[in-house]
Amino acid sequence: MSTVIENRRRSTTEIAESTPEWKRRLTSDTAARLTAGISFFLFWLVVAAVFTRVPGPVEVVQRLGDEFARGEVFGNFGVTLYRFGVGVALATVFGIVIGVMMGLSKLSRAFFESPVLVGLSIPAIIWSFLTVMWFGFGDTSPIVTTFLTAVPFVIINVAQGVRGVSRDLRDMSSTYQVPLLRRMRDLVLPAVTGYVAAGIRFAVIIGWNGVLLAEWFGGSGGVGYRARFWYDANRYGGFAAWVVLFVGFIVILDRLVLDRAISRAFRWRDNSA
Amino acid sequence: MAVLTVRDLSKTFNVGTPRASRVLDNISFEVQGQTFVSIVGPSGCGKSTLLNIISGVEEHTSGDISLKSDQGGDARMGYVFQDPRLLPWRSVMKNMMYVQDELNEETTARARRYLDMVGLAKNADFFPGQLSGGMQQRVGIARAFAVEPDLLLMDEPFSHLDAITARGLRAQLQDIWAQSKKTVVFVTHDVVEAVELSDRIIVLQPGGRIYEDITIDLPRPRRQSDPTVATLQAEVLARLEKMKAATQVAAPVA
Repeated sequence: MSTVIENRRRSTTEIAESTPEWKRRLTSDTAARLTAGISFFLFWLVVAAVFTRVPGPVEVVQRLGDEFARGEVFGNFGVTLYRFGVGVALATVFGIVIGVMMGLSKLSRAFFESPVLVGLSIPAIIWSFLTVMWFGFGDTSPIVTTFLTAVPFVIINVAQGVRGVSRDLRDMSSTYQVPLLRRMRDLVLPAVTGYVAAGIRFAVIIGWNGVLLAEWFGGSGGVGYRARFWYDANRYGGFAAWVVLFVGFIVILDRLVLDRAISRAFRWRDNSA
Repeated sequence: MAVLTVRDLSKTFNVGTPRASRVLDNISFEVQGQTFVSIVGPSGCGKSTLLNIISGVEEHTSGDISLKSDQGGDARMGYVFQDPRLLPWRSVMKNMMYVQDELNEETTARARRYLDMVGLAKNADFFPGQLSGGMQQRVGIARAFAVEPDLLLMDEPFSHLDAITARGLRAQLQDIWAQSKKTVVFVTHDVVEAVELSDRIIVLQPGGRIYEDITIDLPRPRRQSDPTVATLQAEVLARLEKMKAATQVAAPVA
């Protein structure tokens, strides 16, 4: 007598219904994020308990409270945000224009390829030294540092996106003699949205790095300047308070603004038949 | 008036290299205004290349192509591709407007009228991804007619669709064409489709030469169930089989 082995595959509804609620919650994305956060916090507590030069969370919160009480937080953050905003905005505009040119024309690619490569290979710390030497203390050096560190990432991403625009859609546009400006607005730019978004995301993270370094070395005010103030004073609690502030800011900016903007830009992908 | 004139047209890919291959060889024909001309032939005989050359997407190696407009100015072309080629991030209506010469009330009304003719007026605000393949192709057809082209090129527009959807779309195409009387060059490998739709069939043979130019003189609208249509389809199919046998005999053994 032969043995019959039945391999029955269950539907997703059946699987979902047979999985207990606690198991579903424990294996969710939110649970994974919470676990990562809690693990990091516990690690911090342990490291702070072992090494005396590492301030613990309680001390950092106290120092942060002190900075708020002194009225240092909003003013310095405002200064940094202004420099960062101008630098990233310039990097985005120039990055998109040069990236589109590099994507569309061989000649532009040949012209910009080497400078962009050089730009990518120079770290933010070198740009911050150079700009402080060139422009001295003030707003210009952090703005230029932010711009120079961020712009190559936008260019590279956009150029790659433009080169990847569907040949079929380009041929369709040529056949119908669609005007160049409309082609840019309705075909090229939406097609490269993902690449632009990735470029801007890089630009924001790298640019934030750049602005803080420039303020650290040559700032008169700003988040980087204030962090260095506490570092020079050998007060690690104050220094760590500013580190928590600027890391927290970039995480919130990424999760609440950039991530949502990207989801909105791609809402057409979620509307599939 | 001849809307399209093709004279001694040849196309060779990879000219001047050992991989050079001629796909069109001294082709000449004219297409009169308000006629529906089909180009049929086996795979690889250069049908789609010919259409791409006429549309300007591909360059030709030698010969002349001229397009005339009876509306004055440059001749306007519409193109229905094998796949719909819609911008996935724009709504159906915005896709219709993307190819218009000018964006105004007249062109908007025209785009809506053709969308209505293909039965998709209610889906104007949908993204292409929300439509089925057949519906997307209907948008492609409406888009091509909505530019009021002097010449409408169609490259096997129903080849990716299931038989029932394709039959429905062919009927719809006949209705739209009867109302608009646009000049159409339609590429297909399906003889049945060609006889149902065309006033004239140009048969291309392997090697890219014109084998035969057949006039289809049947009343419209045509339906496959009509015995006269079926008889003519069988006759054209027999001629193609004869051509295939002749070219296979003539072809050198590899």
